[in-house]
Amino acid sequence: MTRRRVLLALGTGLLALLGSMVAALLLGPQPISLAAALAGVEPDHAILFGLRLPRVILGALVGAALAAAGVALQALLRNPLAEPFVLGVSGGAALGGTAALAAAAAAGPASVVGAVIGSGASVALGASIGAAASTALVFALGRIGGKLVPEAALLVGVVFNAFAAGVITVVKVMVPPEEAARLLYWLMGAVGYASPGTLVTGAVFVAVAVAVLVAASAQLNLLSLGDDEASSLGVDVGRSRGVVFLAASLATGAAVALAGLVGFVGLIVPHLLRRVFGPDHRILLPASVLFGAAFLVLADAAARLAFLPLGSEPPVGALTALLGGPLFLWLLRRTERSG
Amino acid sequence: MRSPSPSLAALAAAAALVALALPARAADPVPRAEPVWLGPKAPAHPARVVSLAPSLTDTVIALGLADRLVGVTRYDTSPEVKDLPRVGGFLDPSPEAVLGLRPDLVLWLADGGAFPAVRRIAELGVPVLALPVVGVPDVLRAARRVGAALGAPAAGERLAADMEAAVRAAEERASSLPRRRVMLVIGRDPLVVAGPGSYPDALLRIAGGVNVVKGERPWPVYSLERAVADDPDLVVDAAVNEPADTIVRLGAIPAVKAGRVVRLPDDRVLRPGPQLPAALGQLQKALETGR
Repeated sequence: MTRRRVLLALGTGLLALLGSMVAALLLGPQPISLAAALAGVEPDHAILFGLRLPRVILGALVGAALAAAGVALQALLRNPLAEPFVLGVSGGAALGGTAALAAAAAAGPASVVGAVIGSGASVALGASIGAAASTALVFALGRIGGKLVPEAALLVGVVFNAFAAGVITVVKVMVPPEEAARLLYWLMGAVGYASPGTLVTGAVFVAVAVAVLVAASAQLNLLSLGDDEASSLGVDVGRSRGVVFLAASLATGAAVALAGLVGFVGLIVPHLLRRVFGPDHRILLPASVLFGAAFLVLADAAARLAFLPLGSEPPVGALTALLGGPLFLWLLRRTERSG
Repeated sequence: MRSPSPSLAALAAAAALVALALPARAADPVPRAEPVWLGPKAPAHPARVVSLAPSLTDTVIALGLADRLVGVTRYDTSPEVKDLPRVGGFLDPSPEAVLGLRPDLVLWLADGGAFPAVRRIAELGVPVLALPVVGVPDVLRAARRVGAALGAPAAGERLAADMEAAVRAAEERASSLPRRRVMLVIGRDPLVVAGPGSYPDALLRIAGGVNVVKGERPWPVYSLERAVADDPDLVVDAAVNEPADTIVRLGAIPAVKAGRVVRLPDDRVLRPGPQLPAALGQLQKALETGR
């Protein structure tokens, strides 16, 4: 029974991902001919394979990572409002990545040390460590009388986000203007023009994190019942939670390193899927990975198309916030009523 | 959760392995001093040129080669290019829009913000001439380099020589002007001024003025208190996109209170290109008047 529903969720998820990727490859400010692109005619070939394809892959990686992290954090906090961006995990990741970039600038970007620290992998590593540290902080300070209080944790996350934004602003003032421009470009949540090496690094990070979360999805069902219930059902709560928490941090860190701050993907996608597939994490988590990827691929295509009326591409993070902000408030009101 | 440190160490170790397994990307070669070519070699006489900065568009127009341009930024206002397609802004060019124009040369005013997009354009087979333009020598060199890249080295040489002559004339004229202490206001809210190392600072030096703003940053966000303490003889209002009367917000600066303010008619002092002689003229006029 569950098996059939898992297959159904995965099947529709794969279809959605493929459909969104094909649509995103065909859509853009510059009309191109698919036949010409496949025949190697320029500039159609370069636009399709050199510009749109890497962006589609990057968007899929980031969307998958953020949606999976959202489901995991919602299970850990037992609250549908938990999300990497809202919880301050993305803010911590941005701070970690910023620290890596600032260190690279201090070491001299042209030096070997500076190049290693400033590489995509180091920024991803810094972002993952920042994400893990901020998650630890949120979970530690979100406890009242030894018990995790979701509302308190969310509040800690919001405050930490503001703090991280302040620190990043100070760093931006301190580094040379050239580096500040680079930092801004990265942070504003643009799914841009990553090199193939960066894409491969990001794919490895995301694959590891998502695999751990999918493997832990049955335990997420038990953890979301509450600590006492979970441990009475034989779950080593501390250990399982630690694993999930690290994997969610890694996923968020990789996503932020690849695309900066893209908010609310981990809120929108799991929420919609929960309504369709129900709360079983064995279905919800893999489905969120696929639909999260599809969602961000489409959102980025929409951002690219916005070039036509606007004359400039809005960062994809602006689009997801446009959708996610109202949804968050609506969920908040609904939770209040039912609680 | 209670003791995440061992797992955290494992995570860090795993990530470090990933980091080591992949070659670190070379440091971003955003050209800072010399013009450089990115991507393949350009043809000797490029016919489809995209300019990614208004000052470079000005240069191509001044070379008499406006008909080679096929795309410009959304900030370009010159009548010669008013009907050309826009490819985004100076900081956010759209590679897709650029490639769609099938350019055989892209002119780029090197800047870190746009670097990822421009690097991708070059990687996809479009020759990009990256020109770092900060000071007056860069402007002269850019005229020569753009002229040569467009297959018109003589025109580039002539344009550079004309500008050089204008610089020498301005220097001569400067020796007869009083050395006035000037603050160049670039933006009001927040107060942004031209500091050492910026293009307007270089122009002011040639024109015979003394910039009261010291420090290391070319475009510092300045505190009003510092501005009052600096007590310039003259405030040059180069914030041409802001209404002229809002200068009263800076009324705490003695020169503003006393009306020793000259508002520039346009943004020439901020466009490092062939507008150079006119920009010097504007500044020297400001130094002479408003005394």
